[in-house]
Amino acid sequence: MTPVVNTPSVPAARRSRLSKLLRAMRRAPGPTFCAFIIFALLIYAFVTPLVSLNPFEFSGMSVMDSFIPPMWMADGMPDFPLGTDDQGRNLLTAMAYGMRTSIIVGFLSVIIGLVLGGSLGLIAGFVGGKVDAFIMRVADVQLAYPALLLAMIIDGAARAALGAERSVTTAITIVVLSIGIAFWVQYARTIRSSVMIERDQDYVSAARITGRSNLSIIVLHILPNVMAPVLVIATINLGIAIITEATLSFLGIGIPVTSPSLGTLIRNGNNFLQSGEWWISVWPCLVLVAFVVSVNILGDHLRDVYNPRLRGRS
Amino acid sequence: MTTPLLDVRDLTVTINRDGHLITALDKVSFSVNPGEVLGIVGESGAGKSITGAAIIDLLVPPLKRTGGTITLAGERLDRLSPKAMRSVRGGRIGFIFQDPMTSLNPVISIGRQLCDTIEAHLKIGGEKTKRKALEWIERVGLPNPEVQFRRYPHQLSGGMRQRIVIALALCANPALVIADEPTTALDVSVQAHILQLMRDLHRESRASMMLITHDLGVIAKMADRVAVLYAGRVAEISTVGELFNAPKHPYTRGLIRATPMPSADGEVRLDQIPGAMPGLGAVPPGCAFNPRCFKAEGDCRAAIPPLTTEESAAFSCFHPLERETA
Amino acid sequence: MLNYAASRIVQTIIVLLVISFIAFLLVANIGDPLAALLSADATVNERMELIARLGVDQPLGTRFLHFLGNLLQGDFGMSYRTQDPVANLIAERLPATIELAFVSLLITILVGVPAGIYCGVHPNSLFGRFIMLISTAGITLPNFVVGLLLIAVFSVQLGLLPSFGRGTVVDLGFWTTGLLSVSGWRAIILPAATLSTFQVAFIIRMLRTQLMEVGQSEHIRFARARGLSEARIWYVYAIKNTLLPVITMLGLQLGNIIAFSVVTENVFAWPGLGSLFLQSIQAADIPVIAIYLIFVGLVFMIINLIVELLYPLIDARVLRRQS
Repeated sequence: MTPVVNTPSVPAARRSRLSKLLRAMRRAPGPTFCAFIIFALLIYAFVTPLVSLNPFEFSGMSVMDSFIPPMWMADGMPDFPLGTDDQGRNLLTAMAYGMRTSIIVGFLSVIIGLVLGGSLGLIAGFVGGKVDAFIMRVADVQLAYPALLLAMIIDGAARAALGAERSVTTAITIVVLSIGIAFWVQYARTIRSSVMIERDQDYVSAARITGRSNLSIIVLHILPNVMAPVLVIATINLGIAIITEATLSFLGIGIPVTSPSLGTLIRNGNNFLQSGEWWISVWPCLVLVAFVVSVNILGDHLRDVYNPRLRGRS
Repeated sequence: MTTPLLDVRDLTVTINRDGHLITALDKVSFSVNPGEVLGIVGESGAGKSITGAAIIDLLVPPLKRTGGTITLAGERLDRLSPKAMRSVRGGRIGFIFQDPMTSLNPVISIGRQLCDTIEAHLKIGGEKTKRKALEWIERVGLPNPEVQFRRYPHQLSGGMRQRIVIALALCANPALVIADEPTTALDVSVQAHILQLMRDLHRESRASMMLITHDLGVIAKMADRVAVLYAGRVAEISTVGELFNAPKHPYTRGLIRATPMPSADGEVRLDQIPGAMPGLGAVPPGCAFNPRCFKAEGDCRAAIPPLTTEESAAFSCFHPLERETA
Repeated sequence: MLNYAASRIVQTIIVLLVISFIAFLLVANIGDPLAALLSADATVNERMELIARLGVDQPLGTRFLHFLGNLLQGDFGMSYRTQDPVANLIAERLPATIELAFVSLLITILVGVPAGIYCGVHPNSLFGRFIMLISTAGITLPNFVVGLLLIAVFSVQLGLLPSFGRGTVVDLGFWTTGLLSVSGWRAIILPAATLSTFQVAFIIRMLRTQLMEVGQSEHIRFARARGLSEARIWYVYAIKNTLLPVITMLGLQLGNIIAFSVVTENVFAWPGLGSLFLQSIQAADIPVIAIYLIFVGLVFMIINLIVELLYPLIDARVLRRQS
């Protein structure tokens, strides 16, 4: 949003939108607080890498400083407020890098799911008939598998197909694609049902009579109408996608250690949990949970506000 | 004058809406004599059903009883503990619900629902309960009681279900029956049968009845006396004959004239009352009916007319109608 | 009833065929079984023999039928990773997973159902709100985070319970069980608690919503108007109305439980199917992945079929709606 200066030159519409937002924030302090947390964590994740050395490159770590506990514990050091890991990485910095990866992967997979599910839903709804039946049957079969399991299977198949040599980019691409593919059904169903309702509306028939192509009807008339529910689903799915990525990485089949996500960090910290160095795994856990819980609460709130029809579904 | 079985004085029910108190029932008073059928009429929203629910303390929040006394055979119901109230419900006061499609539990058999109700109030058990349940299924006119006993609500038609609802309300021999629009949700062809059944059962049991309805035709067939409610207040109470022939309150006459009834020459006359009943919280000062009343004067707008009692009748109007000499 | 059952069974079989075909495509197209199953110094004869045995020179349709035939005879193929028959691997790992799922179901029923009913009957009580808060956390927390936190508290800090393995296992010949020894029960507590977190949280929310909805229905009001006791109204009249949706939702959640079992087994080094699946993914062991895919589909479909066929026993209205 552009900064709004409250002078007479500000258009009335925008001013009322701002005051509406402020009123909405006052009415829902919980979701507002969550939005604040998300904002703070985003800044943390994307600004820290700009002002610090990458702890996952050689220059960024120092084995001399390994296993230092958080600064308030005995042996803690103010240089490493949350302590260091086995390679002497400052956890406060390392987590920012991990978080950045988690968020980027989460966003990308949501976009993949949205694009894939969106186009299949549009096709199913617009073409109808056998194409629609086929796409929807595939969706039904896929629903027998939870997204997490499906992502694992796709991930496994991709590994087998591509062989052992994989670059970091390939690994991340595989994760993004498997999560994206695992989540397309919900978008497809929502968009398809919206399209089916919209395509019989008078304004669409009118557009058709005036000789518009199917594509322009979709882009100009149908997409704007289905955006609200789809964006709500996307918000909720962002939380799930980040958890799914974290789980894959924790299991060692996600993002590799050279460019870790929060899940990879937790996996690494898990090795030292038994020996008492709890901070290496617990901090990334807490950051992950704080972000995902905030996104979920905000998503639920948006769903209730913008789309009461979806209420009650999980 | 006989002691009434049920005596309701100044019953007040309010809704708390974001801190604003809205009056739904405003000092409603009436009584039901032993063996009598008291009709309660009024348009929807006049507070008829709220009156019924308030008596057995079954108001749905945010509705809340905030004043008045309810006395059943000398006992103050409004002061009872929840537990004692439970034995009154279904035991001494039976309540017939409006919609048989929603008021029966869909996953519990008819027989089980009857037996549970009987056992909650009568000190019998086992075979005796079942025999009594079967007896009631038969009394409300359903064939093959043994078969019905095992059936579930969805296997019965609307009329049959309403018979079961009646059986459930009466099976513990209550002294007072409150029937809240017992025929409204039914097909017209079924309504007459259900009314006939209620009349027969009433004649057999001699229990008192409070019959809540918006249908003056039902009142004419069933009731001994009638209380007319308007916007949460009692407009008039009178015997049926008196009410139809010589209504005192202008609203009562308007209500009667708005009901299609063939006159002697076979013509159907219909007169509408101008305007509409005020909604909750929008009751005008003074007599609630004054904006729609052709006899309204300054005093009607200034003060709420008190309920004036004359023998067995009562009305709340500063300018009552004279007996029509026609 | 019979028609209903038959049509559901036919649908299930079709879906299973589709899943088997996808699994077959995985096996047929990804990875090189010859390279995986033959040692580097294999002779041409050994190679030809294997080609004949696997039938990789046949057309796709024939190979699929062959694949199906083998499945039905219990021949699930060979693991690329361990060179063992997949059937043996699964049989070896199955008991651990089933016992884990069973104990976690037990926890769900013993903890989730009473807590959910409490929240539904007393939605505004302090304790009810507290339970809801916990269950919100339980639904959002990733499964492995729950496991790690439980280990950190109960194994590392308090030293009360083991954090990995099954404890002492008794071999019954056809089944290996950890439920006959104290150490086995101690070992299963944390993983089962982790696996059941989601289900417990889920069933609490379901029961609460359902009970609150039913509590406002007209038939519950009528039951009150007839003077039935609050206990009977809630615990018999209201609960019976919530059974159907709750059981349905639990059935649909089974897939999540299977997925979470992979995570939980990994966290606690539990030697079950989930660990096997994960190892197979890490090693790109396609035959095991494919069979797991079919297996999960099969379990999911069968449980849902059973749930659906049970409906009429709970609520006779279902049959009428079907016909």
